[in-house]
Amino acid sequence: MTLRHLTAVALLVSALAACTSNSPSGDAKGDERTIAVTSTDDGCEVSTAEVPEGALTFKVKNAGTKVTEFYLLGEDGLRIVGEVENIGPDLARDLVVNVPAGSYTTACKPGMVGEGIRADFTVATSKGSTVAAGDQATVAQAEKNYAAYVKDQSDQLLTKTTTFVDLYEAGKDDEARELYAQARVHWERIETVAESFGDLDPKMDAREADLEPGQKWTGWHRIEKDLWPQEAKDYTPLTDAERTTFGDDLLKNTKTLDSRIQKMSFTVDQIANGSRGLLEEVATGKVTGEEEAWSHTDLWDFQANVDGAKVGYDGVRPILMDNGNSALARQLDSRFAELQDLLDEHKKGDGFVSYTDLSKDEVKELSDAVNALSEPLSKLTAAVV
Amino acid sequence: MLANYLIGLREGLEAALVVSILVAYLVKSDRRHLLSRIWLGVAAAVLVSLGFGALLTFGPRGLTFEAQELIGGGLSIVAVGFVTWMVFWMARTARGLGGELRGRIDAASEGSAWGLVLVAVLAVGREGLETALFLWATSRATSSDGGSTWTPLLGAVLGLATAVVLGWLIYRGAISINLSTFFTWTGAFLVVVAAGVLAYGIHDLQEARFLPGLHDLAFDVSHIVDPNTWYAALLKGIFNFTPQTTVLQAIAWVAYVVPVLTLFLVGARRRIRPAAPASPSLATTTPSKDAR
Repeated sequence: MTLRHLTAVALLVSALAACTSNSPSGDAKGDERTIAVTSTDDGCEVSTAEVPEGALTFKVKNAGTKVTEFYLLGEDGLRIVGEVENIGPDLARDLVVNVPAGSYTTACKPGMVGEGIRADFTVATSKGSTVAAGDQATVAQAEKNYAAYVKDQSDQLLTKTTTFVDLYEAGKDDEARELYAQARVHWERIETVAESFGDLDPKMDAREADLEPGQKWTGWHRIEKDLWPQEAKDYTPLTDAERTTFGDDLLKNTKTLDSRIQKMSFTVDQIANGSRGLLEEVATGKVTGEEEAWSHTDLWDFQANVDGAKVGYDGVRPILMDNGNSALARQLDSRFAELQDLLDEHKKGDGFVSYTDLSKDEVKELSDAVNALSEPLSKLTAAVV
Repeated sequence: MLANYLIGLREGLEAALVVSILVAYLVKSDRRHLLSRIWLGVAAAVLVSLGFGALLTFGPRGLTFEAQELIGGGLSIVAVGFVTWMVFWMARTARGLGGELRGRIDAASEGSAWGLVLVAVLAVGREGLETALFLWATSRATSSDGGSTWTPLLGAVLGLATAVVLGWLIYRGAISINLSTFFTWTGAFLVVVAAGVLAYGIHDLQEARFLPGLHDLAFDVSHIVDPNTWYAALLKGIFNFTPQTTVLQAIAWVAYVVPVLTLFLVGARRRIRPAAPASPSLATTTPSKDAR
């Protein structure tokens, strides 16, 4: 009994200890650590995107018709730094948080559902202003377009994976084989983003040859082997129940991936790095035929990696021009085109020939073209930030 | 208006339910002398919440986000302990309905009486601070602070009033059914309510990053149960049901409900079966402490 009393008292005392200073209320303009936020049903207006570090006060006003919430999130968009809930229409509530310097995300959540309307928010160490790389509007546009592309690819991946898993679990192997490479195209186009989730990638895209000791093999390539067992030694086909297990697991992870990707945003340097990363994927896995060891659909993946790299590059290309780097832009344009021409030679119908149909010389040709593009592409990040 | 009304309803509902069941129980089991203490506890919790909320809203100091979540989460978990204790206390004392026996139980359990008061205090005070902050925000909107409008305040107050009326209706209904039925049902209901409070507290502590796993969702039905609807407000207000529930929340909920409800129902069944009619034994008449 008394113990419980003490608990309550202790909570209150610790609460008092956890107080923080309210900034002087009244004139919001006078204090650079006071941020006015106006949340509407479809917008989230934050008065400034950069403030000096310290105790920040977000004065959140709900000008919409739905109940809204306001969050200050960490750079990952997951960690909650502070939140204020129950902001009914016409109400204003304050969020007071002590924030160290760094990158953050603001989010209004009108209607209390979904990811909220997000924006980047910077807390600076000193009051120096950062030098904008290129034209701010161009940068913002590039970032917006790339995020839209990634989200769209992720949605398509989910749609096709759903169909693929249905076919596979229903035992319609021919149709599943047909769809396998077409579905994976969407994964490969955004592979660098997908791989950034260390918990999902090993479950979804692990190759048998790369398994760690004790790691359970699941995902795309596990199913691939089951659909193309011809070259496997002593292979026992999966039972229907096992198919369902692996299929459902892949679908579940694809859904998780999609929901995470929907709330991502990308900076220019991330886009440029991603573009370079996709080309590295080609050089290390696709051009060698290691990625699709059973189905030999490596060229589909190859093309998709190049697609993704090209979209990333095209997005930041205007910034390259703004920064007076037109020479690099021209070089990249021509190298991309050369690689694409080579790939086109191996097209067959809607897709590509099997990797096993390529001669040693053709593989070397492709490999050289990839290297020729990788070299200038590695300079891209430095040139756009 | 409606949106603020639903917030008021949601925030007030759980407290109204717990208090009305508690009051109904005391009235039914003839312990009216404890009611004044219960109301005192409720009033104290309301005043402390409002005062604390005003201090944080208008005073020179605010509360850090983590502290607010820790208070909410911590009090929730303490409240679960007390509500659980109350359920079993009700079940135990419901047996002693014969006047004499009961008098003795009551005499021996003065501590329990204060325990009940604490249940009422926690039921009201647990979300009291958040509700108070919300209410002060609505009242501030009526002042000349830009959006000069009094509809939010009206909505919020009407929502709270509706919660009180619902609580009163539950009370009216509860005192008209027979006692053993009453405490089996309300007891089971309170167990589920307490489980919701526990899950809610866990979520608060996850938000404050006191516990991990805020983003590992067990399920997400937010596209089916839109939190802006009246039924979602009721579900949240009564059972603390959130459309997006984390794995840890779900585990805590199940880990609490299964054993506690089993224990309670087994005990209830055992108590109902003998159905011993209350026979006041005239042999030992100890003077009862409580003047009636």
